[in-house]
Amino acid sequence: MTIVSLRRRDAVRTKGRLDDGPGESFDQKPQIDGENNMAPGQDDHARFTRLVLPHLGDAYSLARWITGNRADAEDVVQEACLRAFRAIGSLADGSARPWVLTIVRNTAYTWLRKNRPSAVLVVEDLEDVEAANADPGDPDSETPETALIAKADAACLQAAVMALPTAYRETMILRDVQGLSYREIAEVTGVPIGTVMSRLARGRNRVIKSIGRNES
Amino acid sequence: MTRPLIYEDSTLPVHAYLDGELDPTNALAVEKRMAIDPALAAECERVEALQRLMREHLPREAPPPGLRMRVETAVGMRRPRTQFAHAQFSWRALAASIAVTAVVASSATSMLRAPSQSDMVRDGIVDAHIRSLMASQPIDVASSDRHTVKPWFNGRIPQAPRVVDLAKQDFPLVGGRIDVVGEVPVPTLVYGRAKHLISVTAVPAPGRANSAPVPRAVDGYNMYRWTEDGVAYWAVSDVAAADLDKFSELFRTTPPDQ
Repeated sequence: MTIVSLRRRDAVRTKGRLDDGPGESFDQKPQIDGENNMAPGQDDHARFTRLVLPHLGDAYSLARWITGNRADAEDVVQEACLRAFRAIGSLADGSARPWVLTIVRNTAYTWLRKNRPSAVLVVEDLEDVEAANADPGDPDSETPETALIAKADAACLQAAVMALPTAYRETMILRDVQGLSYREIAEVTGVPIGTVMSRLARGRNRVIKSIGRNES
Repeated sequence: MTRPLIYEDSTLPVHAYLDGELDPTNALAVEKRMAIDPALAAECERVEALQRLMREHLPREAPPPGLRMRVETAVGMRRPRTQFAHAQFSWRALAASIAVTAVVASSATSMLRAPSQSDMVRDGIVDAHIRSLMASQPIDVASSDRHTVKPWFNGRIPQAPRVVDLAKQDFPLVGGRIDVVGEVPVPTLVYGRAKHLISVTAVPAPGRANSAPVPRAVDGYNMYRWTEDGVAYWAVSDVAAADLDKFSELFRTTPPDQ
């Protein structure tokens, strides 16, 4: 349980920068709002506790779905939290979750490129996306009945989601597990809302079909 | 008749519909299309089944144990574990310190555990209410129509709260928002009373027996808590206790649809 008492300073809204892009530094110039001059260390820690730490579960879960394993996810979250802490002064109150998840996502991709270059995720994903675009109908695979979907087990579902291209997978996790709105997902993944919608539809259809293949 | 949005893929609106992302006009258009197109209705059923499956098998999770400590250490909120670096230390002193530590730890644990989960929920809800009053917008969805507010929650959290219309009793619905209490997102409805706001937060409490509203005051705010059908309701406001009492009673006894 993380419930932190409110401080007067918290009511001050500062300008927020959402997406620094992967790999960039999150170091920020000190904000000139008059309030930041007092005991910055303590204040930043209080803000970090109140704005970032409540989203640690979602941060870890997103990192795990992107990197595909627990140990990597913990490293990514630690690194992302450090970036978030350095940039905490620029964060406006009230919208911390998409902001935190944006940083986690960017950190995860940077981390993968650096530590798992063999994954070559990006290229593979792009090709997958192209293929999906070119073949909307996919007439070869049968679409399963609703009842069949309903009785699929956890392992089957997890495998189906994990097998998705990363772009579809992260969109589905942000929407169906973490409950972000389309606008927030667009913000976190840095694509237009229309792309969020089509990724979501395609990702869900792939999972549905994969469940159908496994269960029948 | 309003013209529905045009999508490249005919199933996209079904997803947006299930996700609570469509305005009432477009939602109605999708419902109409599904009524005449069985293939589209079947698609809607399948996606809904998948969403239920994901809620059931891939719930939101708490961070693994130790991660929070690791993060707090990384940002300098917690010192890394220090080693005993004394050149000379006596085993006796060490033994004594362990004994003292054990006593302190056991009493400290009981003291730390003392604020019950319920107290923490209560504090969290009061904080959320105060925070909402300071924000430029105390609500995420602004509407006096319960048929707008309830579906808005549907797309965002597993269980939408019970929404009642108390406008005739001078408690107009102002809107709703999602608060995070502990690490759980919970729905909060906001009602007005003269120039004051009342937040009603619905916290899932499966298995808990129904109970009548119990008043209390926290940080100068009046608060009523009651349980009904496995949901604990917390109403918090700076209105007079009598008004909040009346509100709680009305909220509890008014049927959602009349």
